[in-house]
Amino acid sequence: MIRRVLHRPPSPHLVFTKSTYHSYEHERTSPFTPPEDAVLSAGLAQVPKLGFTVDALAQGARDAGYRDVSINLFPAGPFALVHYHLVTQRRALASKQLEQGTSVDSKIRKLALERLHANAGIIDRWQEALALMATPSHVPSSIRELSLLADEILFLVGDQSVNTSWYTKRLALSTAYASSELFMTTDKSPNFTETEAFLSRRLLESKKLGTSIHSTTTWLGVQSMGLVNGLRSKGLRI
Amino acid sequence: MHPIPRLQTPIFDFLLPSLSPQLCRVSRASITTSTASPPPESSPQALQSTSKAQRRRPLSREQKQFLDSALRVNHAGELAATLIYTAQTPPIVKSHPHLRSLMHHMYAQEASHFTTFSNLLAKHRIRPTAMYPVWTVAATALGWGTAMMGREAAMACTEAVETEIGGHYNGQVRVLLKWVKEMEDRGEEVGEEITELVRTLKRIRDEELEHLDEAVEQDAKNAGGYTFLNRVVRSGCKGAIWISERI
Repeated sequence: MIRRVLHRPPSPHLVFTKSTYHSYEHERTSPFTPPEDAVLSAGLAQVPKLGFTVDALAQGARDAGYRDVSINLFPAGPFALVHYHLVTQRRALASKQLEQGTSVDSKIRKLALERLHANAGIIDRWQEALALMATPSHVPSSIRELSLLADEILFLVGDQSVNTSWYTKRLALSTAYASSELFMTTDKSPNFTETEAFLSRRLLESKKLGTSIHSTTTWLGVQSMGLVNGLRSKGLRI
Repeated sequence: MHPIPRLQTPIFDFLLPSLSPQLCRVSRASITTSTASPPPESSPQALQSTSKAQRRRPLSREQKQFLDSALRVNHAGELAATLIYTAQTPPIVKSHPHLRSLMHHMYAQEASHFTTFSNLLAKHRIRPTAMYPVWTVAATALGWGTAMMGREAAMACTEAVETEIGGHYNGQVRVLLKWVKEMEDRGEEVGEEITELVRTLKRIRDEELEHLDEAVEQDAKNAGGYTFLNRVVRSGCKGAIWISERI
């Protein structure tokens, strides 16, 4: 029994993100099949009018030339529309132009803003989407999408860290982005300038927190090494 | 009786993307003594030839998952190795100054392996192990602890670690070579990523096995409680590999 458990291959469900080895020799394939793509993109076009509802999905299926019954292919119902929006907009970030020479922080801010602005067309309905994402059965895939978004942004800006800060950076960016997204649903300012300011403040806060944690751990490391070396110089054999 | 016609149901593919996630397991090719060089592998043509215009198909999900966990483990392992040598060096060099160059040489190689895997992780978007802080503390404690027990114990620790690591890399190289062979049999181009990775893994494995030989030359087997120490360190390594493959 124990042997069987120990020899079971690493399950992808244990990890927080299911993104795996990224190859540069093959194009990234879309997670949606062409029919799914057609129905969901047509359905998303109906969202400003019908909201994130089964009606929008059914209308999308009709628009794409399928019968109404085909929406049974989407067991998650209206959440399929939300998920489609999240995935396609995340993947669209890769085509955004980043200015060379700007700092990593400003690149992160630029991409997060681009992603927020992608919600602008359906911002009146976005609270419905947030409610769907917060439904218990959809929470895991919503959180996964959020972490994949943070991962995508940090990859696109060329972040190279592969230690514990890999986790803290993604967590900080996810938190900043999610709170800004919520803020944006109530933002009435022209072209969402208040959301931009809100996002900048959140990013600055997480940067400050990150810097102070980093300096504290560095200080502790230096102090303890100093202590050990001091004791060694006194002739203690450690 | 009519033979049951095979259903052509493309829709099933769409609904059930993968029902049988069978991962290629690393069958570890064990190395038990320092003098036993790793068994020779077949050397497929792809390792020498440059890229040709052939068809190429993406890596399967299982292959990607294998690479994901394999590179994560290797990164964690090299992190631990650099820390073990860092912690061992001051006490060892103090009592045996002639070992300074050897310790420095082994450390420098491990540091270069660590950089290699760090770059690979960043390049291929692989998550580092979540146990990073734990391995940092554990490896430092192991290195310092064995160094305090004396030169032989420190070398016994090196021997045990490198034995496990050498076998581990060997298993990975075998899996990758199996893929290369399968791709060649299907007439596909293997791609620079995989061939380069095989070359890197082979080089690193050989360097780890050199450390093993050097440790044995430095009387690793004369350490007090050698068998016990060897067992403990090796099972510790196995456990750490098991965990790092997963989280």
